[in-house]
Amino acid sequence: MKELLEKIHAAGLEEIKQVKNLEALKEIEVKYLGRKGELTNILKGLKDLSDEEKRIIGPATNGIKLDLEAKIKDKQSDLEAAEIAKKLAGEFFDITAPGTMTAHEIGHIHPLSRVQQEAENIFSDMGFTVMDGPEVESEYYNFEGLNIPADHPARDMQDTFFLKDKSEQKHGRLVLRTHTSPVQIRTMEKYGAPLRIIVPGRVFRYEATDASHDTTFYQVEGLVIDKNISLADLKGVMAEFLTRLFGKEVKVRFRPGYFPFVEPGLELDFSCLICNEKGCSVCKHTGWVEFMGAGMVHPNVLKAGGIDSTKYQGWAFGFGLTRLVMMRYGINDIRVLQSGDIRFTQQF
Amino acid sequence: MKISLNWLREFVNIPEDVDAKKLAMLFTIRTAEVEGVESQAAEFDKIVVGQILEIHPHPDADKLRVTKTSVGKENVQIVCGGSNLSEGMYVAVALPGSRVRWHGEGDLITLEKTKIRGVESVGMICAGEEIGVEQPPGGGDRAILDLSPLKPEAGMPLAKLLEKDDTILTVDNKSLTHRPDLWGHYGIAREVAAITGEKLKPYKTDVKFPAKGEAFDVQVKNAGFCQRYIGIQIEGVKIEPSPVWMQKKLQAIGYRPINNIVDITNYVMAELGQPLHAFDTAKLEKGIIVREAKDGETIKTLDGVERKLSKDMAVIADHKKAVAIAGVMGGDNSEIDKSTTSILLEAATFHPSSVRKTSVKLGLRTEAVQRFEKSLDPNLAETAADRATELILQICPSAKIAGPKTDVKNFKEKNVTVQVNLSRVFSKIGVEIPVKKVIDILQKLEFKVSELPENRIKVEVPSFRATKDISIEDDLVEEIARMYGYENIEPRLPELPIKLPMENKERVKKHFAREILAEGLGFNEVYNYSFYGVADIKKSLLPEEVHIKVQNYLSEDQTHLRASLMPNLLKNVESNLKNFSEFKIFEVGRTYEDLQEYFPKEEKKICGVIVRGKKSKDEVFYEAKGALEAFLETFRIPGMEMRKGESLCTYAHPNRYAGYYLKKNGEEIARVFELHPLVAKNYGIDGPKIGVFEINFTKLMSVEPKELKYKPVPKFPGITIDISVLIDKNREIGSLQKAIQSTDKQLIKNIKLFDVYEGGNIPQDKKALAFSILFQNEDRTLTDEESKKILEKIAAELQKLGGEIRG
Repeated sequence: MKELLEKIHAAGLEEIKQVKNLEALKEIEVKYLGRKGELTNILKGLKDLSDEEKRIIGPATNGIKLDLEAKIKDKQSDLEAAEIAKKLAGEFFDITAPGTMTAHEIGHIHPLSRVQQEAENIFSDMGFTVMDGPEVESEYYNFEGLNIPADHPARDMQDTFFLKDKSEQKHGRLVLRTHTSPVQIRTMEKYGAPLRIIVPGRVFRYEATDASHDTTFYQVEGLVIDKNISLADLKGVMAEFLTRLFGKEVKVRFRPGYFPFVEPGLELDFSCLICNEKGCSVCKHTGWVEFMGAGMVHPNVLKAGGIDSTKYQGWAFGFGLTRLVMMRYGINDIRVLQSGDIRFTQQF
Repeated sequence: MKISLNWLREFVNIPEDVDAKKLAMLFTIRTAEVEGVESQAAEFDKIVVGQILEIHPHPDADKLRVTKTSVGKENVQIVCGGSNLSEGMYVAVALPGSRVRWHGEGDLITLEKTKIRGVESVGMICAGEEIGVEQPPGGGDRAILDLSPLKPEAGMPLAKLLEKDDTILTVDNKSLTHRPDLWGHYGIAREVAAITGEKLKPYKTDVKFPAKGEAFDVQVKNAGFCQRYIGIQIEGVKIEPSPVWMQKKLQAIGYRPINNIVDITNYVMAELGQPLHAFDTAKLEKGIIVREAKDGETIKTLDGVERKLSKDMAVIADHKKAVAIAGVMGGDNSEIDKSTTSILLEAATFHPSSVRKTSVKLGLRTEAVQRFEKSLDPNLAETAADRATELILQICPSAKIAGPKTDVKNFKEKNVTVQVNLSRVFSKIGVEIPVKKVIDILQKLEFKVSELPENRIKVEVPSFRATKDISIEDDLVEEIARMYGYENIEPRLPELPIKLPMENKERVKKHFAREILAEGLGFNEVYNYSFYGVADIKKSLLPEEVHIKVQNYLSEDQTHLRASLMPNLLKNVESNLKNFSEFKIFEVGRTYEDLQEYFPKEEKKICGVIVRGKKSKDEVFYEAKGALEAFLETFRIPGMEMRKGESLCTYAHPNRYAGYYLKKNGEEIARVFELHPLVAKNYGIDGPKIGVFEINFTKLMSVEPKELKYKPVPKFPGITIDISVLIDKNREIGSLQKAIQSTDKQLIKNIKLFDVYEGGNIPQDKKALAFSILFQNEDRTLTDEESKKILEKIAAELQKLGGEIRG
């Protein structure tokens, strides 16, 4: 009996080993373990055996049964895996066919909006409030209040759009603001000192358009008024801002410049990021890129804003957001920014 | 303004081997921007003197000749078309690598070794205009530049032969706006001396005026126009070309030589920054009168243009007529010409804003205007008058001063003294500078400085800086800071208290709105101008009277400020249709409206446009409506009512228009519509279907959004049941939804229209609608019985409206 069992066991293992597919494996399972299977038959016949034989043959049969069951299960997993592998190996799939959800379903935000938001975020993190002011301004806020009287030569720098039939004693004519600086006075009047603000916004110049000039562009004004604020702080804040904006270390330099609403007046350049100050066509071989006008707020401007210039001092700056956007993305014609062409917007 | 380095060297030591670029950089960071540095020699790089040794005919071209030319160390073969070539002649040879202007026109090109009609040619024998050189006297006026009269040597660099050894700096005029003292070489030299630490040579003139005799008669009628008028009559003048050295210096800085007298006035202006003028006294009736112009008075200026003057302008006149516009330009009726023998030299200080106003009004901007408008020092007029007189006597030996100098003074010496608190200065610069250093800086710039107690100094401002430029402490902060060196200020971050910035909610929401519209709803953002023209107002059927007109508009399509974003967006639609048949765009921008008050009403608006193809099955109105409502939903605007309303919007379709009104005040804050067919036709975009929504963002921001509050997620499943109803075509879907909802406000959680069908097998005046309705009880699972009951009620409600339930 024992030999018979061992023979069945050996034969079963051999058959499992040789089997090539799941159907055949199923047959083996039926043959050995099924209701009429060889091992089942032996177990069924146990009742006819002696007690001693029962004690030996019973557990031995069960042991073989469990072993065959386990081997069949293992074999089954192997065969299933092989079958999937075979199926996968033969499958053709074209990954080069176009995706069915396309970028055209997503709209795009204009680069001016994006960079403006970035600038606002960086200055906000440094404690600056984002302010706003009207685009239609009075001559007073746009010029006189900023220490630019009527026949000042500096008015040449800012060719102005005038609006028709609007004039008032203190405010003069209505103009389209030529810079965001009027918001300096408006904010001082409203909130007094100390102040830490930036003013991004649309400005206008009465000027013939070409690839680098437009009647309409965007500026960012900055103003800090406090007790001990200095040019060193201006340098620090702008270096931080530009470093954060460009994502690499940027140096800034000052040189004298003239704007009636600041004294001293400065031009601020930043180190050329293309050539690392070695000189290239972008920086006109100077190593520095012209960026903005700035300076310490002129006492007359503080006065116009109702702030005591013996107690408070501060600086202001104004840079061209439009120029920054053009530099950053390599846009060589300013007019494309206001063309309304989707093929432009979709690139951002 | 162009500045010659050689000219500066007459006043301050600049070593021969100085790096001009470095000097320019220093000047840029200390004083004013130098925009360009050009070495004259660089222009003539690889251009040398050559001597023609042999001339042979070209084998293949009648008009060309093949020369053997010596360029010093070697002989080269050059093909040349010049007709005036001769053996032994000295010529300018541009060798390969040099830059020339082809036939004197167009951009500079770089020469290469080449073959001309099969014959090798190493370089080019130049005509004068090809390298910007005038024919030296004695060579005749012939095609090829003949250098023989200069007796040169072959191989000599042309720059050396022509003494082109100067370097020209171009200073940005704008950065000199506040510096009247820097509009001539001497002033620039003073700055250079202060920058480099060299000593500035004193400016000396040596001329004696007769004490006796009759001074030229000058009357200044209106002292407001003229602070000082110096007049000097010089007789025995002979008008000739000015000497070569003077012409060379003037040409180097871009002045065209005219004659000795005119050149001298320009020369002194270039040197000192003081404009001068010379009149032919034979053309003057008696003396000079400085007066206001008469209204309508005319004068033909030196540029040949007849100018009409007005009362607010100042003229220089004789006893009969105006002979110059003061400080702007001379008149042609008193101009120096070949027969002039006696002149009146004028050195005056005209009022800056008067000159400027006149110049703006006449549209005539000159070198003189540029200087006078900056507020010149009246003392400068005298120095310049003396210098010009000295030069005239020197250059024109027959000339003689006719009488004593006339000097009408309407000014007082301005003694500007500023007390400076150095602690405050240092706190503004952000650096403590040793007091000794401060004093040294100011003294180099010719300020007189004395120390006062408590870290203060007293600063006396020299007259050439005192006219306007320097009057308060802050002006001296600049002098100290720039000469100390801005590069020596270490950057640092301000020590300011941590303070949360004031919130600009509108700004944050504006960026959020863009994200929703672009990244959420698929619109592309565009930017348009704030203007449009009358044509657009008409095409959009807008009333012109709400618009604000630009006085000095640049073009006919930019005459008015926009009162709506729509017209420019319609232009965008038109242009984008060339590339896309379907698209969605939006703009965030301001509109301006005249309210008959001083400041106009500025509002921020958002306008979105959806363009769908003509054959598109979907109604574009509903697409726009869906986009608008999704947008308003994300902004959580409470208490809003949508209704057909009165169309306030001229460019909207009168029937396909819905307004969104705030319940609290009835204000319209948004609208959705299809384009008015007439407007679409006017813009040539009546093919596609166009849906639009407009949002008044300013008003939207005045509404507090609904608070967000959590409601527990339902624990028990709901039941969704579909119902289809056949109903009159004209019955509004909204009324059906309302009827369904009214049957059970608690259990009905959602009603969704999922199908609309017309035509085919249903009556012509009917439509079939299918709704999917969600029932849900928050406390338990609904039984079929319950939902069946509600469904029956719904059916009954719909039947009341004339509906026929189909299943």
